[in-house]
Amino acid sequence: MQNIWQHIYAAFIEADRWKLYLKGLGVTLEVSFFAALLGILIGTIAAFLKLSTRKNGSKTIASRIASAYIDIIRGTPTTVQLLIMWSGILATCKNSVLIASLTFGINSGAYVAEIVRAGILAVDKGQMEAGRSLGLNKFQTMRYIIIPQAFKSILPPLGNEFIVLIKETSIVGYVGMSDLTRVANQMTSKLFDVFTPLLGIAFIYFVLTKVLSILLAKLERRLRKSDNR
Amino acid sequence: MIIVKDLHKSFEDNQVLKGVSYHIHPGEKIVVVGPSGSGKSTFLRCLNLLERPTSGEIWFDGQNITDPKIDINKVRQHMGMVFQHFNLFNNLTIMNNITLAPVKLKLMGEEEAKENALKLLKRVGLEEKADAYPASLSGGQKQRIAIVRSLAMNPRVMLFDEPTSALDPEMVGEVLEVMKELAESGMTMVVVTHEMGFAREVGTKVLFMDGGNIVEENTPQEFFTNPQSPRLQEFLSKVL
Repeated sequence: MQNIWQHIYAAFIEADRWKLYLKGLGVTLEVSFFAALLGILIGTIAAFLKLSTRKNGSKTIASRIASAYIDIIRGTPTTVQLLIMWSGILATCKNSVLIASLTFGINSGAYVAEIVRAGILAVDKGQMEAGRSLGLNKFQTMRYIIIPQAFKSILPPLGNEFIVLIKETSIVGYVGMSDLTRVANQMTSKLFDVFTPLLGIAFIYFVLTKVLSILLAKLERRLRKSDNR
Repeated sequence: MIIVKDLHKSFEDNQVLKGVSYHIHPGEKIVVVGPSGSGKSTFLRCLNLLERPTSGEIWFDGQNITDPKIDINKVRQHMGMVFQHFNLFNNLTIMNNITLAPVKLKLMGEEEAKENALKLLKRVGLEEKADAYPASLSGGQKQRIAIVRSLAMNPRVMLFDEPTSALDPEMVGEVLEVMKELAESGMTMVVVTHEMGFAREVGTKVLFMDGGNIVEENTPQEFFTNPQSPRLQEFLSKVL
């Protein structure tokens, strides 16, 4: 028992090591937050572009571009995307948080796009017809009828995507950033203790995602109001 | 009021309407009957361009609405439509279902729209449901609300697409009652239905559609007692 406390003391408390973890947590949160914002923005735009059709029902050029973006991003590993951004496209950029946020934002956008698109398609098409039959245009019907209903079914998978995103930022150590995972990793080699630092950050990641899912569940319940029979 | 000229509609290779022409006058109650797949719903949905005709013209109040330059949203404000599956807006209360279009299209102020909605709800006996959501209503109640929602736009014509087909039998009556009352108030109506009793009682003209065409058209009296075409005789022998 005493042994465990010694390990914990050495891994987190001795020499103010918790400050390093805290800094790492800061990096993880920063990248996750900006990536999530960017992901929602890009994803929503991409979803509407992909859904766009011409008058005769055929796909627009914007729709094809959005499809290609989604295909390419989903079809390549995030780590590879990060390395390409780091050592290629944004090699001259010194702001590593910016690079990571952009990479994960663009990556997440592809998944969010499919989530949003599925949510919109899941709304019964009679809702659009009813709106249009009253003289509302497509945009108005989308805004007042379709999107509020789609949002309810978008929220659970979107929450899932954010949880994945938070965890996936743990690869930023590849490009030299000191996030939570990298801090723990360095600690394991420094202290010759593999388990304690890693179990510690596993716990932190878990708390992060758990808090997020509790908040989302709350929001979901509030949106269910109109389902009450 | 509505003039349909040589209307064709195909879905890919499937020709659903094969040259329908018809003239609907103000105040008429046109009831369209026919077997499923005869094109009667497609015909109705072409009237407000929920389906774009493949060819042919539709004129509404002297305007060719199939002309691509026409603002169809403006035209639809004057043509109410009631659907088989009600299609009430699930995310809005009954009150907001009714007031959304008039308010957002700036035809009425919020207060005026609400007052008008309450008046209409009273007419169908559902004023106590104003703050309920559609999910809490029965099918018959939903359809009465759907009719009210269309009426709130003060349409010049009302289109009904099998308004009672998705209802429990005991709820059909309450919806038909509202439609009858609407007919008596002088509204121009086009009704696709399987309710032969309604056709006989309320219709000024009954159309029989089969195979993408209007096969027979007559007053209800003649239509039911003296059908001309063998196809209609066969149809009536099955449904009556």
